[in-house]
Amino acid sequence: MQGRQARHQVRPEVGLPITYALSLLAPLALGCQGMNTPIYFASPEPILAVTGANDAMGNPPRIENGMTLQFRNPTDAEQKALDMQTAALGFDAPWIQRDHVHIELTYQVTYTPLPNQGPDDNPNDIPQFTIGVDGANQYTKYDSNIVAMTLSQGNNDAPQYIPLIPVTPQTIAQGQTISGTVREDDFNEAELDLDAIGRWMAPFNAVLINNSQVNPIGLSMVPANVVIPALIEIDVSFTANRNMKCTYDIRVRDDNDQLLHDTTNTLFSPTPTLFVPPAMM
Amino acid sequence: MAALVTSWLVAGASAARAQVTAEPSAVVFPDPAKFAHGLYTEGEVGAVAFFGKAGDAVSPGFAIGARVGYDLFRWFALQLHFVGSTHQLTGDNPLNGQLLQTYQGLIEGKLTYRFGQTSIFGEGGVGVERLSTNALYALGIEPRYRVGFVAGGGAGLDYHSLSRHFSVGVRGGFFVMAELTSSQELMATTYLRYTF
Repeated sequence: MQGRQARHQVRPEVGLPITYALSLLAPLALGCQGMNTPIYFASPEPILAVTGANDAMGNPPRIENGMTLQFRNPTDAEQKALDMQTAALGFDAPWIQRDHVHIELTYQVTYTPLPNQGPDDNPNDIPQFTIGVDGANQYTKYDSNIVAMTLSQGNNDAPQYIPLIPVTPQTIAQGQTISGTVREDDFNEAELDLDAIGRWMAPFNAVLINNSQVNPIGLSMVPANVVIPALIEIDVSFTANRNMKCTYDIRVRDDNDQLLHDTTNTLFSPTPTLFVPPAMM
Repeated sequence: MAALVTSWLVAGASAARAQVTAEPSAVVFPDPAKFAHGLYTEGEVGAVAFFGKAGDAVSPGFAIGARVGYDLFRWFALQLHFVGSTHQLTGDNPLNGQLLQTYQGLIEGKLTYRFGQTSIFGEGGVGVERLSTNALYALGIEPRYRVGFVAGGGAGLDYHSLSRHFSVGVRGGFFVMAELTSSQELMATTYLRYTF
């Protein structure tokens, strides 16, 4: 009886503990709001693997694979908004925009020496690998192989690959595994460069070699209010001078839920134009 | 000399008191019957660890949660349990270092046995769990999955303070997730409970 009386007495104080208790749920509620809900895509099979043996031309082996991110078509309301945005800009507003689709690539390279291979003690032949990323947006596809063919026309020099995103060559020891990340800001730069090349007549070598935030050379034709398309295709090339394999995952943050995962939606299937350097045209 | 010793003993003797002829009635302090019961809330912090396949790729992580429940009897309660935990992916894969969160909501039953200020309890329930990403699917560890059913239970030890409202305790639980066919999770938390 005493207990019941006391319980009635504390009721005016009930609000504060309830507030405290509910405040504990706040992190859960925030966590469920899609603040950190990336979607991962595993690298396609077969994985990138080379033995390190040079090709017939004496060049290090180079292997590639890639994936196309599948997006849905816009709804009627979204298409209407897109059309309004296009009218306001005065040029085409892409459906898959860089501001709403954020891409990151994480990779892992492992060097497994061949059974009869000795130590890597030649300072002029250090085990190393190189990764490059090409791709396509909904308007333009960039392939560094095409560019390399252009640059090598008329000479017998080794192909010079200029990927959309170059990853600094790294040395690696026998049995070692190296992990790395091509960050979202790397993709942001590549997406700007590709749009500049494809839609705004920018010289491809100038914009690819220079970081636009340091030296915006070649970007003079790009409108200040440009809406940059995101990559919808990601192609990864791997070069190594030893027996190595590379696995990677693509991480996508899809702000507007544009990735195709609802069976009632239809696939957005643009046909980007392959970029061909002027010398080959 | 004998007279001197005798007089000293008599003078130094303490006063006589009435003899106790029966045992005093037991006094229980504090009286558990005076502890508040009924609606209660709990806030908890602790850790969640995955076992099975996911245990190789997901590190143990920090967990924070809350419960809202009602004591139907002194020994039985129903409660809603919400808990979230954050983890880092580990292992020999490209996603090493990426973050993964889990969110769970369960409805649970709780049985309590109290002795004095201390009680032990067992609890169990079913609910829904959501993973923040599809990382486990991308790694080929588990089938495509983001949301699924979860079931499990555990036990704990509760210590009631001298306040009639507050108690603290520790608990552990083991949960299986219907869609993570090869993985389970172990949860250990400490909590603060307020009973209204």
